[in-house]
Amino acid sequence: MSDIPGGPMANRPVHFIWLLDCSYSMQGEKIGQLNYAIREAVPEMRSVAHDNPAAQLLLRTLTFSTEARWHHKDPVPVDDFTWQDVQVDGMTNLGEALEVVSREFQTPPMPQRALKPVLALVSDGVPTDDWKSGLRALDATPWGKKAVRVAIAIGADADRSVLQEFLGNPELQPLDANSPKQLAAAIRWASTAAVKAASQPVAAPTDATVKQPPYAPPQLDDDDDDVW
Amino acid sequence: MSAPERPLWETLEHSVQGVNKQINQDWYVAEGSGSQGDPLILSVADGHGSAAHARSHIGARCAVDLFAVEARRFAELARSEGPDGATHSLSWLMNYARNELPRQLVAAWQEQVLAHWDRYPETVNPAAEPPHKGQKLLLYGATLVGAVLTPQMFAAWQLGDGELTVIDADGAIALPLAPVEADLGDETESLCSRQAWKMVRVHWAPVVARDRTPRLVALSTDGLSKSFASDEGFAQFMTGLDQRLAKDGGPDDVRDALPGWLAEAARYSGDDTTLVAARRPGPDAADHGAAADRPRSDA
Repeated sequence: MSDIPGGPMANRPVHFIWLLDCSYSMQGEKIGQLNYAIREAVPEMRSVAHDNPAAQLLLRTLTFSTEARWHHKDPVPVDDFTWQDVQVDGMTNLGEALEVVSREFQTPPMPQRALKPVLALVSDGVPTDDWKSGLRALDATPWGKKAVRVAIAIGADADRSVLQEFLGNPELQPLDANSPKQLAAAIRWASTAAVKAASQPVAAPTDATVKQPPYAPPQLDDDDDDVW
Repeated sequence: MSAPERPLWETLEHSVQGVNKQINQDWYVAEGSGSQGDPLILSVADGHGSAAHARSHIGARCAVDLFAVEARRFAELARSEGPDGATHSLSWLMNYARNELPRQLVAAWQEQVLAHWDRYPETVNPAAEPPHKGQKLLLYGATLVGAVLTPQMFAAWQLGDGELTVIDADGAIALPLAPVEADLGDETESLCSRQAWKMVRVHWAPVVARDRTPRLVALSTDGLSKSFASDEGFAQFMTGLDQRLAKDGGPDDVRDALPGWLAEAARYSGDDTTLVAARRPGPDAADHGAAADRPRSDA
């Protein structure tokens, strides 16, 4: 409506970053299923975004192995996002990945005017670098503190205590994905529920006695024969 | 037959529901003439609206209704005498505005929403442990912006997000209750926060000369400001609103256009969007203050 006084209007971005463990332990079926699950989740992410037209969903992917590397460096609007498979390579340098994200969560480059970002961490192992230092750097940024965080533990070897610390909220638990079916469900949940949580207004948590879980992880079926 | 008296203030108000929201969780009021005996009271409240705050539309309504009660009481104190027979001093009133009113408002709000809970407790799972006080308050969480204007005084209060915009007699725009650092994302301080009264920001501006009274006072929920790509865009909206109201027939034209403007804003912010504004009709409006103080008659 052109006769509205004032400057231009715009909806606010939700920056969603996949943080994917691409160490050698992910080789084989795990990385294949992860690629499949994220590719399949993209249409659902679009659907959530369309249901919430006031939020502009922007996607990025950061992989970590011997080094942290942007798979999609520039934020891509969900409607333009196409999944390109990630490959395995080396160690599990989660700390470096968190450092890289912490630099992106400074303002700038993050805008002041945005909805909470989403960090979705997927890992099957134990970090091989100083991950606590990376987590401290992330927690020290204003947007890092506000981010909606989800964590998916693939298989029995995943270090759940690291993922728990990444979540930073004892009310939240990493989601266990012990089979391809569970991984697909977990990715689907992380893709959608976290985006919804990021765009809901809430009272700032000033009362330690009142916890507000921003989202409820699903109960995943455990009837899959193919278990990691 | 004498000409009709010009009002001290022209007011306009409207609220629209956010896109995909089931109900509008904002509430607002604009009442009174702005005279000594009939203070102008403006207020908007914004219920948080998410699942964690399922009754926030009720919390918002309670907030506005209780603010109006407290604002009327405050205006009455400003014109009445203290125990020593003299009118209350400005410093006494300022202290009351900064400390007493926020305490009383938050306490009254808590009492009212907890009473609402007692009347309508949730019975989804009768076996579950009943929620404690903090959990009940959380359901009703809301923000509040409120202002009271008399010929002698302009005071305003804010808890959480939203905007108080003031355009002074010279046309300069200010947001006197804007926080030093804006909350990131959609988190906000709230009436349901612990010791919420301490978070109330207060604007205290006694009117030293009637022609220096602000010419526009606007209160809005964050659905409006967050629809603009920048803070400057929101400020331009307010100065544009002021200019449109100043034109011949401006108030009626703006009232007609306002629902469309707010609906457009809500499309971008996604939030319920509410604006309450009062503008002095003209430079000679203050001369009518005494007339407006005369008792009104329904006859």
